[in-house]
Amino acid sequence: MKESNEVYEKSLLDRLSDSIIYLLVSFTTPFDKEWKRRNKSKIDEWKLMLYALNRSPIGLSGLALGLLFIATGILGPMIAPHSYDYSFIVATGQYNKYYLAAPGTGGALLGTDDLGRDLFSQMLYGARVSLVVTSLVLPIGISIGVIIGLISGYYGGWVDESLMRFTDIFLAFPGLILALAFSSALTDRLTMAIAYNKYLTGLISTLFGVKPNDAINISPILSIVIALWVVWWPGYARVTRGLVLQEKNNVYVEASKALGLSTPSILLKHILPNVIGPILVLMTLDIGGVILTEAGLSFLMGAMMKIPDWGAIVQHGSTFLVQGKWWIVIFPGLAILVSVLGWNLFGDSLRDILDPKTRRSIEFKIKKKRK
Amino acid sequence: MAGLGRFLVRRALTFIPTLIGVTLLAYIIAFAIPANPAQAWAGGIKASSKVVASVIAEYHLNQPWWDQYYYFMKGVLTDTILDPLNGYRVMSFMLTRFPITFELTLFALFFLIVLGIPLGIMSAIKKDTWIDALVRVWALTGVSVPIFWLGYLFIFFFFYMMGWITIAGIPYPPHSITGVPVIDALIEGDWVCVWNNIARFTLPGFTLGFAGVGVIARLVRNSYLEVMSSDFIYYAHMRGLKKARVLTHTLRNALVPVVTVLGLQFGGLLGGAPITETVFGIPGMGRAMVQAIFMMDFPILIAGTLLIGFIYVTTNLVVDILYAFIDPRVRF
Repeated sequence: MKESNEVYEKSLLDRLSDSIIYLLVSFTTPFDKEWKRRNKSKIDEWKLMLYALNRSPIGLSGLALGLLFIATGILGPMIAPHSYDYSFIVATGQYNKYYLAAPGTGGALLGTDDLGRDLFSQMLYGARVSLVVTSLVLPIGISIGVIIGLISGYYGGWVDESLMRFTDIFLAFPGLILALAFSSALTDRLTMAIAYNKYLTGLISTLFGVKPNDAINISPILSIVIALWVVWWPGYARVTRGLVLQEKNNVYVEASKALGLSTPSILLKHILPNVIGPILVLMTLDIGGVILTEAGLSFLMGAMMKIPDWGAIVQHGSTFLVQGKWWIVIFPGLAILVSVLGWNLFGDSLRDILDPKTRRSIEFKIKKKRK
Repeated sequence: MAGLGRFLVRRALTFIPTLIGVTLLAYIIAFAIPANPAQAWAGGIKASSKVVASVIAEYHLNQPWWDQYYYFMKGVLTDTILDPLNGYRVMSFMLTRFPITFELTLFALFFLIVLGIPLGIMSAIKKDTWIDALVRVWALTGVSVPIFWLGYLFIFFFFYMMGWITIAGIPYPPHSITGVPVIDALIEGDWVCVWNNIARFTLPGFTLGFAGVGVIARLVRNSYLEVMSSDFIYYAHMRGLKKARVLTHTLRNALVPVVTVLGLQFGGLLGGAPITETVFGIPGMGRAMVQAIFMMDFPILIAGTLLIGFIYVTTNLVVDILYAFIDPRVRF
């Protein structure tokens, strides 16, 4: 094999990324002992990609920021010094000290809002909301798009035509407006659904890290999630359809048809694995987009939001901006900017690494020593 | 040109079903999803059942969905449907708000063209210098920054700290011709009003166009570099053409894809307008829609969605046709 007589000059990071891949791959062993051996070339390819990533400072810093976003999202509500509805004014009774207190005032690291609530804690809870929304929107929104794209591309003819016209209708709306209309129309329905369902209440309060009796106040956020499902799939349907159109003329598709495999099995087991790569890259580039759109929606629906969410906090603080109380607007916005920037940086360098055009030049940079 | 004719017919034919689909979607959002719009319009839970019943009868809410859809579409298009909350005619109300949003979009588009294209060309000519780095950073921050936050940042500096701008009211000229304040003022030669409009709309326009400038600049840069390395430019240099002549050759070819993206950006700018209008307090269509949400004023929301959807679809159509004319290689 070609790879075996080439030794790469490995840095500490490369060793780390190698061991991460070994760890991930070892999870397959209990299910399929031969998987590791059969896919050796694929695993080597992954290692090479990570070497390329390790040599891109921009990509690495993006990844670091992205991981920080995830970590803050998971741990946020646990490490927050106060609860999201804790008010310094109520707790201490010092109205003058804690009404719109500047950053650093006794115990409030990033200051307080007009109700004396700790901005830092609110932002940590907001990180959870942002993370949960992103991880709810992307997998489901993309699945819908991919399934429609698969069907449309594979069948062609009138199925393709009608599905694509259907997609066009959704693409004909600016996403933000459509999502805004949907989320505003849905909020009331969702409030009822949550209020009368004990299990849903429990699930939501654990997921978002809020108190159980605040679960119904999550309904605007959930309606944003549903609205984003509605607007997020059309792009993926288009992309998947294009990929399937290229892929379906291959011999292996012909062969699986000749073998008499069922259409779902051909689509999901044979075509999907061959088109999933570009879709995953697109998804990485989209994480920032979801965070940003969600923040924008929650900013516009700010008054309906009773649970801290970055966009809603900015909206709430905007009233006091022209009084010179800048912190309530600046800090949550900065949090959004940093998270989105991180994912965009990471996605950009990932695209460079996976793009065959730029890939060669990156691989060339990795020094090789021949034995 | 036969190919072009057929393309135009086909494109126009798909345009109509898309528009019908857009209106159907708008209808579903407004009347199929909300729990009980009639109750809310009549005044909430405490509303008397008589009023609720009259609201239901007025807006055909007890009829099957196709009847509702027909009633609603006819009402919006012929401007007979009244807003349940304030009695305005929904379509004419939105049409008074639209010119403001249009003006905001024009300002944003202005920045896209006047800032984005030159920045892109400069960063291509001076590749790998500070200006190239600036464009790169701008493009990246542009797609990463929440525009409401950027808007507040500007307000904080230019309004609160410097006191340079106003963030209230719209300066209208005395007579309305097209409805768009700045254009009317230009036609009438009312320079004070033009200046007031510029002072009012520059910052919101820049905020709205901020992401687009980066996108356009990067696009122009890449397309310019591609054209510069093509054979005919090499040949032009060999023929000993003057630098300025070569530049026009390059530009003419490099700016072709920009037309499409500018068209798409126009739709994107309209879509982003609600946030910018809310931040800067501009009474445009987007802000009317945001306010309609809190009032559960769905007819306004739908008329706005419809209008924006219509403009969006039409822009895409125009861009497609324009592109077919500009680039003779494209035939569908």
